[in-house]
Amino acid sequence: MKKSKFLSVVGIASLAAALLVGGCSQSSTQQGDKVELYMGYTSDPPTKKKMEEIIAKFEQSHPHIKIKTVTAPYEDFYQKLTTQIAAGNAPDIWQSDGTKVFGFAQRGAIRDITDYVTKEVNKDEVLGVEFNKDASGKYWGVPQGIQVGALFYNKDLFDKAGVAYPTADWTWDDLKAAAAKLTLDASGKNADDPAFDKNAVKQYGFTFFGSSRGAFNIMKAYGGGVLDPTMTQSIIDSPENKKAVEWMADGMKRKLFPNPAELKAFQSNFKVFLSGATAMQIDIYAATTSMNGAGLNYDVAPMPKGPDGKRFAPVIANSWVINKKAEEQKVKAAQEWITYWTTSDEAQKEWAEVGEAIPVKKSVANSEMFLNPSIKPDNKKVFLDSLDFAGTIDTNAVFAEWLKVVTDNLAELFMDKMSVDDYISKTDQGVQKVLDDFFKKQ
Amino acid sequence: MLEIPNKLQAQPDVKKKRKWLDSEGRWGLLLVSPYLIHFLVFVVGTSLASLYFSFSDYDILNPPKWTGLDNYEKLFADPLFYQALWNTVYFTLLYVPAKTFLALLLAVALNQKLKGLKLFRMAHFLPVISSWTVIAYVADAVFNQRIGFANAILAHFGIAPQSWLIDEVWVIPVLVLIAIWKSVGYMMIIFLAGLQGISNDMYEAASIDGANAWQKFWRVTVPMISGTTFLVIILNTIYSFQNFEQIFVMTGGSTEAGSTGGANNASLVLMLLMFRQGFSFYKMGYASAIAWVLFLILLAITLVQFKLQKKWVHYD
Repeated sequence: MKKSKFLSVVGIASLAAALLVGGCSQSSTQQGDKVELYMGYTSDPPTKKKMEEIIAKFEQSHPHIKIKTVTAPYEDFYQKLTTQIAAGNAPDIWQSDGTKVFGFAQRGAIRDITDYVTKEVNKDEVLGVEFNKDASGKYWGVPQGIQVGALFYNKDLFDKAGVAYPTADWTWDDLKAAAAKLTLDASGKNADDPAFDKNAVKQYGFTFFGSSRGAFNIMKAYGGGVLDPTMTQSIIDSPENKKAVEWMADGMKRKLFPNPAELKAFQSNFKVFLSGATAMQIDIYAATTSMNGAGLNYDVAPMPKGPDGKRFAPVIANSWVINKKAEEQKVKAAQEWITYWTTSDEAQKEWAEVGEAIPVKKSVANSEMFLNPSIKPDNKKVFLDSLDFAGTIDTNAVFAEWLKVVTDNLAELFMDKMSVDDYISKTDQGVQKVLDDFFKKQ
Repeated sequence: MLEIPNKLQAQPDVKKKRKWLDSEGRWGLLLVSPYLIHFLVFVVGTSLASLYFSFSDYDILNPPKWTGLDNYEKLFADPLFYQALWNTVYFTLLYVPAKTFLALLLAVALNQKLKGLKLFRMAHFLPVISSWTVIAYVADAVFNQRIGFANAILAHFGIAPQSWLIDEVWVIPVLVLIAIWKSVGYMMIIFLAGLQGISNDMYEAASIDGANAWQKFWRVTVPMISGTTFLVIILNTIYSFQNFEQIFVMTGGSTEAGSTGGANNASLVLMLLMFRQGFSFYKMGYASAIAWVLFLILLAITLVQFKLQKKWVHYD
């Protein structure tokens, strides 16, 4: 009897201990005078190694701060982060995908850092600060790395077809005319040839898909778009959008651009360009890593102009954001980290080396180090110049949800199962419903 | 899971009346406590939490706000819910009978004394242990619009190429076909176990009575393995309603957020709708409501199947 009593006591005690340990994992974080800053970021092996090096340097020059990190590949990181936020043990500062910043902000997960940004961040020296400003003028993050879209083109395919490379003066119609010459059927005839076989396209002229790489850019260049500046109203039902959508649908019908089914046949949308099956594609700076890896002979040109000369390049400003629940002391430490990140040549150059984003410090972005002519694409300056006419892809709290409506309907249109007029009205209503469901509730 | 049919047999009550928590009872409790605690915390606890979430507005990042039946009202007014429900039912209607029949056929075939029997059994079981990502690549070799050999065969007969997995008409049948190929081996093994439990005497007796092979199959094999068949049908139905990974992997389209479910949501099933609402759109309350409706539907179907089994399942 005694033994069993003892055993049950031990059992219950150890269980209670296990529960307690789980419950108090984030206990005291201050060791001596040091502030322990809990930081989250997405990574793959090379970026993780680089980030660790930069953190070590930061800790050297900021001996009062000790950084503890949580990191994982993209999808896993955000899944974990979401549960951490729910459980109240999220990092004090984390690197947010540019498309998610307003989602975190509008759901009350991150801190309004307007005060810090206006006082401490020099907009003349840091790229893309404005992209984290909402309609009411509040800042929610500071760029960690910038992604800008541009027109990528395969030089070999242009040379083979004898078509001149894209220039900064191109309009979307110029692009389409070139795309027709670069779209080839199985027997090598291009789309301008009357004998061109639409059912046996072997090479496409131009590819676009998704949001930052997709229709959104063309609608913007035509003077349209998806959301109004408050990001709460759909502006899809406009003559400008209709013209842009007609332009796209026409290219799909002529088979100059692969439709969603044809894209699917490549297993990954990115493979079309990577495998040399399309002459042009809209993509962002991050894509250069895999293109260089594939040994592609390519370059970039600015996004073409719309009929009225308007130009648009998509921007995703991946940013440092601060947890709304972080203690003041940690907020200070987080801001020190952000200041270090955006102003230190050392950190910026180190980070630029992994090649996954445009450095946010303007002097580094404009330096020989980033514009390095020995690494493709030759015309990297296009990315920097494009910032003059760049904008976000209308990211707000329900970005993923309205984007789903837009892309689903576009797929129907491109598969020739919906008319342009139906597309416009159906998408407009669908997007507005998503917006109302979220914002009217607030 | 194999024991489900046995549980139905009434167990004679031989338990002694015992004082609550005598030494033996406490030992027993202590020994099962790892499982019990896991069950209470991770099964009962999370289920109750999700039940609560289903009556609340919950975006994961903020505490849930009680909204009563709001999510359920929205759900029953959502055309996508009905589309997902129909897609799920359609998948099940194609999947369960075809797979059950095929698994039985294979089991009977591989229950013969064949040369290379083990090789055949292994060949059918191999897809079961492969991951969906691998299966998706293999399936792509068949159903890829551009390079797949399904279209190559069609072209031989002068039929235009189909875009299988992105075609609203084809997508579910093709997914069912691939799902059957992947998992039929597992059900085949269950049937094999059932078949091997049939005593040879029965067949001998049937032979003496002059039964031919077909009659032996219908009059001996089928009734003798009806318990196994019942189990296979139940498992297949549950699997089919809960199918997520395959559809996520095969009709995901791109890595862009929320892009799962195929063209015009033609392959959007309930599990996918739930995932999309909960994890892509941060509507965990709504997703929980879907989960509970899915659970109730599955429960109802399983109960009906249990009721019906009395008419055709023999346990002897």
